[in-house]
Amino acid sequence: MTQRVLSIARQRPAGFAVVLAIALIIANIAAQPTFADPSQIPPTLGTLAPFAIAGMASTPAFLAGGGGIDLSIAPLMGFVNIILVTQLFGTSLGKPEFAIPILLAMGAAIGAINGVMIARLRYPPVIATLGTFFVLSGVDLDLVPDPVTASNNWTNSLAGSVGPIPGALLTVGIPLLLWLGLRRTAFVESLLAVGDHDATAFSAGVKVNSVRITAYTLGGLLAAVGGIALTGLIQSADASVFNDYILVALAAVALGGTNLAGGRGGLFASMTGAVCIFLLENLLTSLHASAYAIQFAYGAVLLVAVLFGAKLFNRPAVAA
Amino acid sequence: MGEDTAGARGLLGGRPAVAASSTVLEVQGLAKAFGPTQALRDCSLELRAGEVHALMGENGSGKSTLVKILSGVHRPDAGEITIGGEQLRHLTSPRDSAAVGVFTVFQEILVAAQQSVLANIWMGSDGVLRRRLSPSERVSRARESLDRLITVRDLDQAADRLTLSDRQAVCIARVLVRAPRILILDEATSALDVATRDNLFTILRDLCAEGVGVLFISHRMDEVEEIADRVTVLRSGETVATRERGEATPRELVALMTGSEHAPEAMHQAGNAETRVRSTIALRAAAVRLREDRAPIDVEIHPGELIGLAGLEGHGQDQFLRVLAGARPVSGGVFCTVHEAEHQLRSAGDARARGVAYVPRDRRRESIFESRSILENFQLATVHVDRRRRMVRRAPALARFEHYAEVLRIRAGHRSNPVTSLSGGNQQKVVIARWLAMKPRVLLLNDPTRGVDAGTKRDIYRVLSEAAADGVAVVMLSTEVIELIELMDRVLVFREDQLFADLPRAQLTRNRLVASYFGHDES
Repeated sequence: MTQRVLSIARQRPAGFAVVLAIALIIANIAAQPTFADPSQIPPTLGTLAPFAIAGMASTPAFLAGGGGIDLSIAPLMGFVNIILVTQLFGTSLGKPEFAIPILLAMGAAIGAINGVMIARLRYPPVIATLGTFFVLSGVDLDLVPDPVTASNNWTNSLAGSVGPIPGALLTVGIPLLLWLGLRRTAFVESLLAVGDHDATAFSAGVKVNSVRITAYTLGGLLAAVGGIALTGLIQSADASVFNDYILVALAAVALGGTNLAGGRGGLFASMTGAVCIFLLENLLTSLHASAYAIQFAYGAVLLVAVLFGAKLFNRPAVAA
Repeated sequence: MGEDTAGARGLLGGRPAVAASSTVLEVQGLAKAFGPTQALRDCSLELRAGEVHALMGENGSGKSTLVKILSGVHRPDAGEITIGGEQLRHLTSPRDSAAVGVFTVFQEILVAAQQSVLANIWMGSDGVLRRRLSPSERVSRARESLDRLITVRDLDQAADRLTLSDRQAVCIARVLVRAPRILILDEATSALDVATRDNLFTILRDLCAEGVGVLFISHRMDEVEEIADRVTVLRSGETVATRERGEATPRELVALMTGSEHAPEAMHQAGNAETRVRSTIALRAAAVRLREDRAPIDVEIHPGELIGLAGLEGHGQDQFLRVLAGARPVSGGVFCTVHEAEHQLRSAGDARARGVAYVPRDRRRESIFESRSILENFQLATVHVDRRRRMVRRAPALARFEHYAEVLRIRAGHRSNPVTSLSGGNQQKVVIARWLAMKPRVLLLNDPTRGVDAGTKRDIYRVLSEAAADGVAVVMLSTEVIELIELMDRVLVFREDQLFADLPRAQLTRNRLVASYFGHDES
């Protein structure tokens, strides 16, 4: 019986997070009945979106293994936000049909630079992406020393509703659809293989370096989506707001059940993890918990979730 | 070896088609060095379509290096590789090798443990994005190959749910689905259970009938006799001979592997073993198992004894030495006698505290601190004796070091220079001095003479003999047959993670030892 439950849980890395998310939705409704009010849902999702996307964007680097991590996701979101507000809005390139491809290409390019540094130049991932983190933070601050309010623009509806649907379903949905598409290609399978055991993948003929570079490129691309969602939410250019997303994005990945050493997990898992953290914060805030207690709860939930994951996956190795 | 590709093609154009079709792989004069070690010197081999060609040789003969060159992991320094009539300078990656039809199954079981069996079978066959096969085709073709080897009901289960033998079968299925032209099995049968191995042999015969060339490396003489059409023997990186099936007896193969010309170096064995070796026990392994399904190992090690650990690479001798040094075995235990009381070793630190010193194999990663000085590297194991009121004194350490520098003939400049200013051999001496200074009861050494020059080797042999004469029990893992037979009082031969033979000095001959590596009893 235990074996069966374990084997089901092993096939669904996000299992713990899904159960937790459902429990938290119920708790939120119980604590604050307006939570489920239809008019409340689009803005709630709008607040969640940048955070969930930050978690998703951080995921491919972890999946690629080899100590993979992308610390530059949050400042890249900030960078995209700043470029969009200060450079594109108000020009002919500010329309979505131009701005979106430009920003996505920019995000992907920065991600690709991370990937090349790590896979080809053999930088440790922490160092490479920490370098990018500081460079982007510096550029962000240089561009907008003080927050700049955005003029009325199309991103506003992304944090509310686009026609009948909540805009956040678009910004969160596009990365998920992209991931679903990639799962139909060879990429996700190769990515998991590389992250699981790169020597095996290499000897089997997987292009390990190309796969890793693609993973970081994908992370950068998703960070650009996150930057657009962030702009929708804050309607300004702000060089400090990304700080809120740095660590919780990583926590969302871990809580979602992605193996931080690579080989297991995905974007759905990280989104679920982000939802959990968001709902937890929401619940504690509506219960008037102190900021201190919220931080404490984040830590406790994360430790429990990772312990749960470790128990699941770290079975004693068979003696070779 | 500048090989003009265009010229080579021109040359091939004139070659009769028959030659190209009957020889699938030809290797000429292949050489490869790793630093000072010449792994391959002059290796030549011809693999014909439709044959199983066995490759034999003892440790360090170059088998693995040859396989790694053919599978694109290493680049040769010199020599030519001709595959399917096309001359290649080298293969740059396993993917590159796969593109010309060369597929390898390695001794290490290379599965991505968290991925499904299906994903493991098809790993590496697609592009970064592009899939070559539809999902249903993937399943049916994987089934086709895997079902001939083992019974696995669920292809979606994670590979780590399979037994070791089944995982290796997955690795074999991975190459079978890719329709190899040249199949290399590098000790790939060692993890397989008997039924799976028999299934594999059936498959190999079928592949041969289809014209595939199989290069087969095994440590089992019986397997080679059963499946191989020809055998090529490597020794010290050179091709020694190729024999047809039934042409060579196991005894002759062993003689070819060891070499008949046998020039013993001047190695001296300290004193008479009968007076030197005491009857008390310094260290005792009791019912130690290296794997759950293996026979337990019982060994008694006496003060003053010189014991060699031997076997083909990866047969448990390394693991056993680590167990003696305090690592936990799968079951059983190691007991150390201190002042006539026995203690079970619980950890490496515990072993050291009871006077068991261990010199690891990988100097750079396991024993040398590259950023520290010669003296600091030496002082490490004995720093407690230099301590006075929480301060570490330098003078006594220096005096102690000078003693061992003289005994071991360490050639070093200033003692404060970084340890990396020394040659590899002198670094190894510093590590041995570090542990000798601890005045151990038992000195364990993991292949201490690997990659060091002849002079350093002689110094190490002398110091070990002297230590034994002083009553230290010395256990040394070695991959060099010559030092085992010249230096040791007895040699423990490991095979498939258990103790295969315990050869006393009187029975130590080169052929006897190598024959036992291959599970062949020459007595």
